[in-house]
Amino acid sequence: MRFTLLPACLCLLALIGAPFARSETISIAAAISIKEALLEAEIAYAKETGDEVEFSFGASGVLLTQIKNGAPIDGFISAASEQVDELEKSKLAVAGSRRVVAMNGLVLIVPAGSKLKLTSIKDLTRDDVKKIAIGQPKSVPAGQYAMQTLASLKLDQAIAGKIVNGANVRQVLDYVQRGEVDAGFVYATDAQQIGDRVKVIANAPADSHEPIVYSRVIVAASKKQAAADRFLSFLGSPAGKQILEKRGFITEAPAKTTTQPASK
Amino acid sequence: MNDLLRSLALSLKISIVATIVTAALAIPLAFVLARRRFWGKSLIEALLTLPLVLPPTVVGYFLVILLGVHGWIGRWLNEWFDLHLIFDWRGAVVAAVVVSFPLLFLPAKSAFASIDRELEDIATVMGASPLRIFWHVSLPMARRGIVSGLLLAFARALGEFGATVMILGDLSGHQTLPISIYADYTSGRSLESAWPTWLAIASLSLISLLVILAYNRSAALFQE
Repeated sequence: MRFTLLPACLCLLALIGAPFARSETISIAAAISIKEALLEAEIAYAKETGDEVEFSFGASGVLLTQIKNGAPIDGFISAASEQVDELEKSKLAVAGSRRVVAMNGLVLIVPAGSKLKLTSIKDLTRDDVKKIAIGQPKSVPAGQYAMQTLASLKLDQAIAGKIVNGANVRQVLDYVQRGEVDAGFVYATDAQQIGDRVKVIANAPADSHEPIVYSRVIVAASKKQAAADRFLSFLGSPAGKQILEKRGFITEAPAKTTTQPASK
Repeated sequence: MNDLLRSLALSLKISIVATIVTAALAIPLAFVLARRRFWGKSLIEALLTLPLVLPPTVVGYFLVILLGVHGWIGRWLNEWFDLHLIFDWRGAVVAAVVVSFPLLFLPAKSAFASIDRELEDIATVMGASPLRIFWHVSLPMARRGIVSGLLLAFARALGEFGATVMILGDLSGHQTLPISIYADYTSGRSLESAWPTWLAIASLSLISLLVILAYNRSAALFQE
């Protein structure tokens, strides 16, 4: 009796426990510019594995601050290397878990109804251009890339008084889309995502800023590192790459050194 | 330090101008609403007091809708006066006026309501114009409530963040003290580095409140 009851109990336990043990919910902090692609990837991933992913989107620098302050995050996808470097340096990232997720381009956009007829980044110095939105360079990678481009074109001094800082790149997109600013720097994928409410004026030359590389890393304090790795690795799978590419991201390292965005 | 002084100057400029505008709007309105009775008065009073309890972000949201380039009012300001209130310190003044308005309006209204009406009536009998009665009789007698309200409104304008950050945004070199603290926090600066900023704003607010208390005490002594 004893010997037959025990295995039966164990079997029952396993049956009850199975669904709970198998499906896990992980938290991923990710650059807001990659939001739509990740939400779509999550749906495909959840179907495949039963795992669920909760996202917290924001400026990579803001997310880094939150992780450093102990936010319960399992994985981090940053729009620039700097934030991941810092996470690794402060030993808050799982060693060796860093991979490139995707690449992007930087573009100058204006509101769809803009009457200024801007044609190049240099036109930003014109007197009739009053306000230019970029991400807050202290915390928003898109803003850091924009400042690099402006500095390399030697325009940063001339337009310093026109800069409006967005809390993240999507706020920049919103400022431009609402027509509150005359122009703004966002990622090529952001401009593609919002459609015809903004107009792309120019691509920032790829050599004018650091390569725009999205990196992912697993947070050392996470108790769900394996599950976090499963989802993050899914992004590197053919299915994951296809979703990213559909949203305009570049997933293969270019053969040449140039990384011109695939503008649609 | 330079940044701190610039933020301090901007915060003071916005709060001082906002307090003057609030005074010009709230004091006459408080007087009228304390004296007259008309249909819909309660609703108007409730609407004027609403910013006191509404989240500042909701106030900011409405102001952006109203004052934006394509907003109901912003469109005309833009077309007629080439005035863009979004990302402009004058827009921040509008936000500060809206949120600090009830803090002057409410004490001013109760101050006007508690005045001995006979003195106003005597002045009328003696032939004073309504404006002169307001200026020489009602206003001086209500000054206690009004001065407290002015200082409270000033302190509130100085500390305003939610609506201001939506209108003024985060402009390089044009951050108010509260916005600069938030920008430092989100950019991962060590929190310790923000101490001069919070010290500046906390001291200014504390001074405003101490002035109110000192004024009230001296006014009370004077009345006795």
